[in-house]
Amino acid sequence: MLTIRDLHASVERRPILKGLNLTVNLGEVHAIMGPNGAGKSTLAAILTGRDGYEVTQGEILYEGRNLLDMSPEERSHAGIFLAFQYPVEIPGVSMVQFLRAALNAHRAAKGLEPLDTAELMALLREKAALLKLDASFLTRAVNEGFSGGERKRAEIFQMAVLNPKLVVMDETDSGLDIDALRIVADAVNTLRSPERSFIIITHYHRILQYIQPDVVHILMDGRIVRSGGADLALELEKSGYESLLNPA
Amino acid sequence: MGRSTPSPLRDRALSWMEAGDLSHLFTEQVLKEDWKYTPMDLLRQRWDYVPFEYGQPFGVAGDSLSDPRESLDERNPAIQSFPEPLSPWEALLAGAAHQRHFMLADGEPIGVALRNPGAFAAQLFTAIVPESAVGEVWFSLEGEGLSLVRWHLHVQRGGRLRFYYPSPRDSGESYRYLILTAYVEEDATIETYELHAATAWMRSEMRIQLGGQRASAHLHGATQVTEGAFADTAIRVEHRAPHTESNQLFKSLVEAGGRRAFQGRIFVSRAAQKTNAYQSHKALLTAPSAVSYSRPQLEIFADDVRCTHGVTTGFLQGDMLFYLQARGIPEEKARSMLHRAFLAEVVEKVPHAALRTWAEEYFTLPKV
Repeated sequence: MLTIRDLHASVERRPILKGLNLTVNLGEVHAIMGPNGAGKSTLAAILTGRDGYEVTQGEILYEGRNLLDMSPEERSHAGIFLAFQYPVEIPGVSMVQFLRAALNAHRAAKGLEPLDTAELMALLREKAALLKLDASFLTRAVNEGFSGGERKRAEIFQMAVLNPKLVVMDETDSGLDIDALRIVADAVNTLRSPERSFIIITHYHRILQYIQPDVVHILMDGRIVRSGGADLALELEKSGYESLLNPA
Repeated sequence: MGRSTPSPLRDRALSWMEAGDLSHLFTEQVLKEDWKYTPMDLLRQRWDYVPFEYGQPFGVAGDSLSDPRESLDERNPAIQSFPEPLSPWEALLAGAAHQRHFMLADGEPIGVALRNPGAFAAQLFTAIVPESAVGEVWFSLEGEGLSLVRWHLHVQRGGRLRFYYPSPRDSGESYRYLILTAYVEEDATIETYELHAATAWMRSEMRIQLGGQRASAHLHGATQVTEGAFADTAIRVEHRAPHTESNQLFKSLVEAGGRRAFQGRIFVSRAAQKTNAYQSHKALLTAPSAVSYSRPQLEIFADDVRCTHGVTTGFLQGDMLFYLQARGIPEEKARSMLHRAFLAEVVEKVPHAALRTWAEEYFTLPKV
């Protein structure tokens, strides 16, 4: 469903990605691991269409379409979802207002009528129950005053509501204690399906103890330097990035 | 209005009025610091005087509002103790023809709705909240022309006054100048809520004196400054007694070509130890041609006080916009959601549910 070919990208003219190749098939869970500065977050930003990143070479095909021609909202409508590393606070917009606008934009893109309030609330409550979340946060402003763990859970909740086909998780595990991490991982496992793919971007092996990836890639200096099965992450955890790549 | 004492300013102002020449109003102000950002040229034209018309009280509170009874006469000490006019504008209101005085009854909100027929109209109101009473004033102003309105509010010991000033949208050319002065006694509270989409020119001047211990003032304003409009707020909160508290929470959404000025002063006298004062004005500019001047000022003569202020002016954060877009919300819709949400922080503070709902619609906040 997603094919990245020879992707080169720069931020403020500084090359970050230097020929990245990646293929993700429907239903697969890919983990992309790498040290700081390897280009992990740049990859997430480019996949979702954030400003300030310049693709200088290569292409990204998503379900046969040129992803780079699509606006961030079109990518969302086409089923791409980014779980943010740092979800921003949106004071003055409640989670319900936010998701109403998002869902109805998705529906409009598919030529469907907007949901009425009863349908919307039923859907939101159903997804909250599925993820074992307390529905009280629906009336709070988006992420405002949320703890780190709450923010990440709110991201997963939004994912459940928008029902994407490709989820990009940008260091969702960062800043989470072990309990919060487990809750987030359980939620992701609940949403895992043959109809949905995940790209889990992470610095640490920790989250992969709870979410079993199909493929693990190691990203260093803008390129994927090694790919393997779930045990690659374990190996990495034991030996570190440097020794894994330069065995004595 | 201290009519027994001579006032050269008042005499001059009244003579201009009689002569039908208000041009001095626009020149005598120019040197004053708190008019620094106020474009007087917009007002400089010949204005004929016309009395205000009284309309139906503001919609959302309509049925619950009492028709104000003029239950005070000029011998009341609250009126006799009026300060001398500080400006020719205030002096103009010294003529008895432009004055109405109300004694509020506990738990009985009053509503005053003025309509300017399209010339120069001026009016002064006094409202007194008796001891330990809860008073509410709903004031609204419509119509074109130049409107000058002063409210003098006096909240007696232990009383509470809420002053609502919502402005229905006006398509025409209207120039509105509200002067709100208040004296707040011991253990008394005043709250004000201004909700506006700015008209061609509007200025709100508020001077609040916290005269008794533990008196407090909570001033709120949400203003949308649309294209070509000008909105100006000049506040002076005076803490004159110990343990007094004040809050100013103002937010302004300034659109292309709109101009906003905000000057908020907190004055703490030597006697006003343990004062707690806060002031905030945040302006969100939606286009490079939007302008906002903010000037927070603190004048503190007591040494054991807490006074803080915060002023921000800026554009929408790209992070917020991207967050909404990444969830599929089209850019234009996302911007408009964030703009309205910006004002919501003030709107949420409105204690009257129907007015809050009105304001959400008014600023077209997305419905829950």
